[in-house]
Amino acid sequence: MGINLSKLKIASKSAPVLDVVGMVLGAGLPQGVPAVRLARKDGVDDLVAGGFLDLSGELPATPEDAAAATPGSWQVPTAFRAPHAALAIHSGQAFLRHSAETRENGENGDPQMRSVSRATAPDLPPLTAGLPEFQAAWAARLFPEGRRPTACSIQIASTAAMSGFSHNPAFKKAGGNAIVMMVFPSYTALAAFQDSMLVLYREHPVGFRHVREAVSAQMRVDEAMAESVLDDTLVDPIPMIEPVLRPLLRQIEISVDYLARRRDCPVENFFICGLPTGFRYWASLFNRMLGRTPTLCRPLESFSGSPSAVLPDTHPLASDGTGQLFMAAIGAAFAVLDDHS
Amino acid sequence: MKASLHFNLIRKEEILSPSPVRLRVMLPILSLLLVAALAVWWMLALTRAHAANQKLAAVNAEIESLSRSHQTVLSLCAEEKELSASLRQIGFYTNALTRFGGLLSGLPEHVPADIQITELYVPPPAPPPAPAPMPGVKAAAPTSTFECVSLRLAGRAGGDAPADAVDSLLTALRKPDFTNLIVRAAVPPGAFRQEAARGQGNRNTLLFEIQCDCVPRRFE
Repeated sequence: MGINLSKLKIASKSAPVLDVVGMVLGAGLPQGVPAVRLARKDGVDDLVAGGFLDLSGELPATPEDAAAATPGSWQVPTAFRAPHAALAIHSGQAFLRHSAETRENGENGDPQMRSVSRATAPDLPPLTAGLPEFQAAWAARLFPEGRRPTACSIQIASTAAMSGFSHNPAFKKAGGNAIVMMVFPSYTALAAFQDSMLVLYREHPVGFRHVREAVSAQMRVDEAMAESVLDDTLVDPIPMIEPVLRPLLRQIEISVDYLARRRDCPVENFFICGLPTGFRYWASLFNRMLGRTPTLCRPLESFSGSPSAVLPDTHPLASDGTGQLFMAAIGAAFAVLDDHS
Repeated sequence: MKASLHFNLIRKEEILSPSPVRLRVMLPILSLLLVAALAVWWMLALTRAHAANQKLAAVNAEIESLSRSHQTVLSLCAEEKELSASLRQIGFYTNALTRFGGLLSGLPEHVPADIQITELYVPPPAPPPAPAPMPGVKAAAPTSTFECVSLRLAGRAGGDAPADAVDSLLTALRKPDFTNLIVRAAVPPGAFRQEAARGQGNRNTLLFEIQCDCVPRRFE
């Protein structure tokens, strides 16, 4: 005779998610937390709002820090109040790798880590994403119940970025085999697609912060100045950044060779996303070492048919540089929309 | 590929509702409200039942106190009805009174000199026919409101033309002076004869009778 309230609660959530705000936590950006609100109406994705939110997106480093945090303390501006939130998390303790075991939310695995596995290709071991339990639990209770939004998805930033990249029209148009470099502050994720199936994922500990620090150290300027150097053509920073990027590009070269020899997957298309500054120098070095020219994926291109895609030039999303910082937020929202549509 | 890239690390029990109206909260509140509403309804029902009982007791006491007066009133009403019926009956009798005074006072003017009235008789009315007796049912009292009235005149006529004198009297009785009371006047067959009982000298004297049907009495 008793009523299971939790079942009722879950049943009430069965309606398709058509309005979601994607956010990036732990990116450590001085501008704030990147957030975009997407709505899907009649199959058309609309960019409802986008920008940096004045919230502390710093992840707790220890379980004690997470326990000390006040749950339900986050509130977002009205424009970002979608019913649901998809959170992409940058965490040094998170992982994404191919694994022999299939895991669903940490079962049969390390109880300190929350993990989930998905098969991406039939002949490959599944890909497993993992996040420390205390960080996942902290993120899940950031938003209060009964107010918009509430968290419905927690993703690793690199998988979210891949979801965002998969909606990019340049990637859709290229088809066939492609390699995408998802550049994050402290690492670069390399994902290879064969007939639009993910067949290779690697992470290399070189990010755009390392490049910026190299320029800053060698030119003896602060990081803001180094960033403007990378944005400009006044100084050629290639001799400064080449030692940093060479190992990464070498790894890409090896991966391309591996794909061509072992999987009969010659790669024709190369993409870079998530790189806020210095794309022309990355592309130049890439061309010099691999003989190919990579394409920069712009997040706004995913909304070419969106009614709200025309943004003023001053909008963070409209900029080629800062717009790249929203790739994971857009991808997190897209992943939820795709899952529930 | 799209679905496979959603590595969702949130647990189902961690997904909270964004709706400010939550079943988990609303159900207990609604239950409490329902219980409170039922309690109030039950209290109102009890109060009303108590008030109705009190009113019933008061009405019963009032009925008890008024019953003797009520019986008195009822008996007085019955008596009043009875007396009214009697008065009405008396009124009917008054209305049904046959006034022979005018007739009798005017009669001598119309009686010829050769006629001597020896008898003027108003016979009692014939009783109405009795209804057929029905077994087990008490016979009803007479209910007729109509009573026939007749007048019988007897006398003797003398002189040279006694028959003419009798005719003259009959004609007089049919005049408007009497028609308000007498409807029909006639000499019954055999009621016109010689007077033999008083001797041969009175052979010219004729005895006669006139039978008059009067206006009936109506008890209305």
